[in-house]
Amino acid sequence: MSIVISRALCRVLSRQTAVPTNVSFLMGVDGHVSQGPWFASVLTLKTSAPLRAEPKKKKKVDPRREQMVRERLKKKLKKLERVPPELIPIEDFTTPAKYMDETRVRGAAQLPFEESERRALLLKEWSRYKQTQHRAEMEAVGLAVEAQREALEELRLESEELYQAALRPDPLLFPFNHQGPSYTPPKAQYEAPEGKYNNITKVYTQ
Amino acid sequence: MAAPCSRMASRPLWQFITNVRRTGLKHTGVRQISLGSACRAATQTRSKTESVASPWKLYGAVCLQRLPVISQERNPIEDQFAELMHQMELERSLLSDHEQRLLEDSERMTRKQADNYDSDEEEADYGGQETITAQDQEDTWEQKLKHFQPALRDRDVGGTPLGSVERCLGDSLVLLVQQTVGKETIWLLPQAQWEAGETLRQTAERGLSSLPEADFKATFLGNTPCGVYRYTFPKEVRTERCVGAKVFFFKAFLSAGSATSQKEPFLWVKKTELQGYLKPAYLEKVDRFILNL
Repeated sequence: MSIVISRALCRVLSRQTAVPTNVSFLMGVDGHVSQGPWFASVLTLKTSAPLRAEPKKKKKVDPRREQMVRERLKKKLKKLERVPPELIPIEDFTTPAKYMDETRVRGAAQLPFEESERRALLLKEWSRYKQTQHRAEMEAVGLAVEAQREALEELRLESEELYQAALRPDPLLFPFNHQGPSYTPPKAQYEAPEGKYNNITKVYTQ
Repeated sequence: MAAPCSRMASRPLWQFITNVRRTGLKHTGVRQISLGSACRAATQTRSKTESVASPWKLYGAVCLQRLPVISQERNPIEDQFAELMHQMELERSLLSDHEQRLLEDSERMTRKQADNYDSDEEEADYGGQETITAQDQEDTWEQKLKHFQPALRDRDVGGTPLGSVERCLGDSLVLLVQQTVGKETIWLLPQAQWEAGETLRQTAERGLSSLPEADFKATFLGNTPCGVYRYTFPKEVRTERCVGAKVFFFKAFLSAGSATSQKEPFLWVKKTELQGYLKPAYLEKVDRFILNL
């Protein structure tokens, strides 16, 4: 009986006061020595502060709730993914706004009649020149192809094996690279200056 | 010849070539398929008998071309047209940033020199900074350009020897060598006699590499010969077994290398100059596949 009363009293008092008074009261009631303020008697309930802060009890509904949340998020993600990816804009096709400016228009020069005549005649002359050039090129290529055909014919008459070897494609020929002609010949032992540039091209990711 | 030509050509040219190829080599193409299917042994025996019985000696020759290093001089009409195009493009264009800057700077200069010049108003816009005018920038750029001396285009004024690869940088040159054929030493494209067990292309490569005192690095354009020259030996040399010779030409582009000594056995000639060195019948066949394009 006394133990029960002491327990109840302990509970009441501990809510209001700190630990040392609790212990001194205990000492007074039980009459035996305790070793310090932190070693209470086994018979009394340990009503320390951490113990009183009851942790949340895990309810059974929580895992299901978390699962539901996760599923909802996944569904939202799928909806977003179903949207077709945004097309990367081709920047060459959109005229930048600064070129629509009117101040940039060059003064349209009025050509005199002679000048426009000269231009028309020159263009016609050029087309004639290009036509003869094209014809000459076609002829030259035709002759070359004919020469090759004759060569293959003669080779066939000679030996079938060599003919077959000649017809085989050369795998080492391609990729074929050749530096084309420039305006001035290359300078011997010329060191080109190193150029720096800042690359400001926009990179789009889908 | 066929494969790289088609790669370099424009669309109508490509169609032309395929047309010619289709009509010319159509039957050979069909026969090739039928040969490849079953009767290889028969063809091998046939080829063996053919090679034994063939009365023609085979040679592989190489037509080594040095492609042009600089662009050709323009014709008068090309010059005029280029100028016209430039002028027309300029007229149809908008002002560039640089040109606008020039205009603005010139306007500002006129405003400065005007009587009612309000310097506070002007400098308020620019925060009192010293601006480099576009004209100044142009001048600095021109100065920089003057410091650079490009190599001269026309080096032939000094008269480079015919054996040098550096002559006529604007045209494609062909290599000629002097070889003894029969009793004479004549100028011709470097050739070598075919030996059994090698393809004709290998013969041509051997012919090129066996040239004395020179190492030319060449890229051969495919396994197909581009031309053939057939000639019969004079009656004294003719026997039952060899009536004459067939020379098969292969095209190659010079990639690197040069003659180690400046001796005369080599000649680099343009297409127009070939006439002075090659025999007429030979020239007739060779002229066809040497393109001046």
